[in-house]
Amino acid sequence: MLLEIDSLDVRYGRNHALQNLSLQIDHGEIVTVLGANGAGKSSLLKAILGMVKPAAGQIRFDGADVDRWTVPKRVRNGLALVPEGRQILTSLTVHENLLMGAYPRRDVRAADIDAIYQRFSNLAARRDMSASVLSGGEQQMLAIGRALLSKPVLMMLDEPSLGLSPLLVQELFSLLQQLNTDGLSLLLVEQNTNMALKVASRGYILELGRVVLQGPAVALAADEQLQSAYLGE
Amino acid sequence: MLLLQQIVNGLMLGGVYVMVAVAFTLTIGMLNFLNFTIPALFMLAAMFFWATLGGGFGSGFTNLLNHWVPQSMHWVVAAGLALLVAILASLLIERFTYRYMKTRFGDATEHAIPLVSSLGFLIMFEHLVIMTWGTDPLSVNSPFGTATIKVGGLLFGVPQLLSLVFSIAIVWVLHIMLMHTKTGRALRSIAENPDTALMLGVDVQRIVPLVYVVTGGLCAIAGILFAINYRTVGPYIGDQVATVAIAGMVLGGLGNIWGAIVGGLIVGLLEVLSTYWFGADIVKVPVWGLLLLVLIVRPSGLFGHATIGKGKF
Repeated sequence: MLLEIDSLDVRYGRNHALQNLSLQIDHGEIVTVLGANGAGKSSLLKAILGMVKPAAGQIRFDGADVDRWTVPKRVRNGLALVPEGRQILTSLTVHENLLMGAYPRRDVRAADIDAIYQRFSNLAARRDMSASVLSGGEQQMLAIGRALLSKPVLMMLDEPSLGLSPLLVQELFSLLQQLNTDGLSLLLVEQNTNMALKVASRGYILELGRVVLQGPAVALAADEQLQSAYLGE
Repeated sequence: MLLLQQIVNGLMLGGVYVMVAVAFTLTIGMLNFLNFTIPALFMLAAMFFWATLGGGFGSGFTNLLNHWVPQSMHWVVAAGLALLVAILASLLIERFTYRYMKTRFGDATEHAIPLVSSLGFLIMFEHLVIMTWGTDPLSVNSPFGTATIKVGGLLFGVPQLLSLVFSIAIVWVLHIMLMHTKTGRALRSIAENPDTALMLGVDVQRIVPLVYVVTGGLCAIAGILFAINYRTVGPYIGDQVATVAIAGMVLGGLGNIWGAIVGGLIVGLLEVLSTYWFGADIVKVPVWGLLLLVLIVRPSGLFGHATIGKGKF
C-alpha cells in the first residue's frame, strides 16, 4: 500500500471534521473522494499533508509512519497537494511559482522545469509575468506544474475542475490520466462526480466526516440510489 | 548654500531613519506584525556600543578589553557586542510573541496580543537599561570623531556620509536577497500566504526567525551609526528615532522596503529643514502633519500596495 489511513479523527474545536476515517491507496492507483460541501474532504487532504493535526488515528505513507513528520518532510518524501482555489502566489512570477514547487528538493534540474513548460506551453509564454495575469485554466496548470516539481509519488488534488469550462475539464482529466499512466498515484477530491468516477479505480463517499460508502468506481457510478442520495444527481 | 547644506544634513539624518523604517516594514510585510520592540533593539545596540567603549561594563571588562584588543580595534568589539545583543533580543521576542501565538492559536497575525507583548518588551528593555546605567545622556567616545570632507563648499560629516551609503547598500543587498535567492522567494511566499508556503514545503517555523535576525541586525547597525554620529546615547533614544521611522515607513507605504528608504529620507529632510526655517520647537509638527495628510489623501503611502499585508516585495 502506498497510503494507509487508519481510523483518523480531525477536530476543529467542538466540530468533528473527520471521524474514524480509514482509506487506502495502492501504488499507481487513482482514488477519488466524493461528498457534499462540508463532508470533510479538504480536511482529509490537509491531514494527510500534515497541515492539520489529527486528534486520533494513524497515517502511513510508503511504509513509513508519518504522524510526527512536518509538512516539509512529507513533501520531500513524495506527497504533494494541488489545493482548492489553486493558491497561486500572485506576487511571484509564473517561473518563481514553479521554483517554489521545487523548493523542498535539491535534485530538481533546469530540465525538469523545461519539461513542465513543454507540457504547458501557455505557462512558457508567460514565464516572467506575474502569476496574477493567468486565466483560471492556466492557474490550474500552474498549480499542477508546481506540485509536479516537488517530484511527488502521490499527488492530491482538491476540486481541480472547479470553475473550469467543460472543455478545460476534459483536458484536465485527460492530463490526470496521462500523469497516472506515467506512474503517478492520485487522490482526487471532486464535486464533478461523473468525471471523477470515470478516471478513478476506486471511490469513497464522505458524509459529515465519515465514510458512508466505498468501492470500485464502476460500481459507485452504476449505483442509482447512491447517485440520488449522496451525489445530487 | 546654507539651504543646500541643510538638505545634506537632512539626508544624513534620514540614513539612520531608513534602517529603522526598513526593520519595521520587514516585519509588517512578512508577518503582518507591527513590532514595537524595534526601538528597544536600536537603543540596546547603541547602549552596548557606548558601554564597551565608555566603561559601562565596569573596570574589569575595560581592563580585559585593553589587555586583549588594540585600542584602534575596540570599536569592532563594541559593534560586535551591539549586533549580538540586538539579534539575541530580537530572537527572544520572536520566541515569546510571534511563535508563541502561532503555536498556541495557529495564527499570530490576527491577534493584537503580539503587538501588546512587544510593547511590554520595549518598556522592559528600557527599564533594564535605566536600572543599569541610569537615564542621563551618555557621551560616546566615537572612534571616528568629527572628520568632515568639503565638496564644493558643502560640508559632509564622514561618519554621517558613511552611514547613509552603508544603510542604502544594506537595503540594496536585502532587496537582491529577497528577489533573487531561494530563501528570498520563500520569504516572499510567506509574506503573501504562510499556509501556501507551508503547503509547498517551506519550513515556515524555521525561516521566520530569520526575519527577526535581520530586524535585530538592521536595528543594531542603525543604533551603532546613531551612537557614532550623534555621540550621545540614552535609554529613550529608541523612542525618539523609532516614532519618526514609523512615520517614514508609513509615508513610503507599509511593507515596501524602497518606500521605507524614501520615507526615511523624507522625514530626515523634513526635520532638518523645519528646524532651519521654523526652529526646533515645532519640528514634530511638519513630520506628523505630512504623515496625516498622506494618510488622508493616499492611505497606502507613496509606494505601498492597496492591500496591506499582501505581496509587497
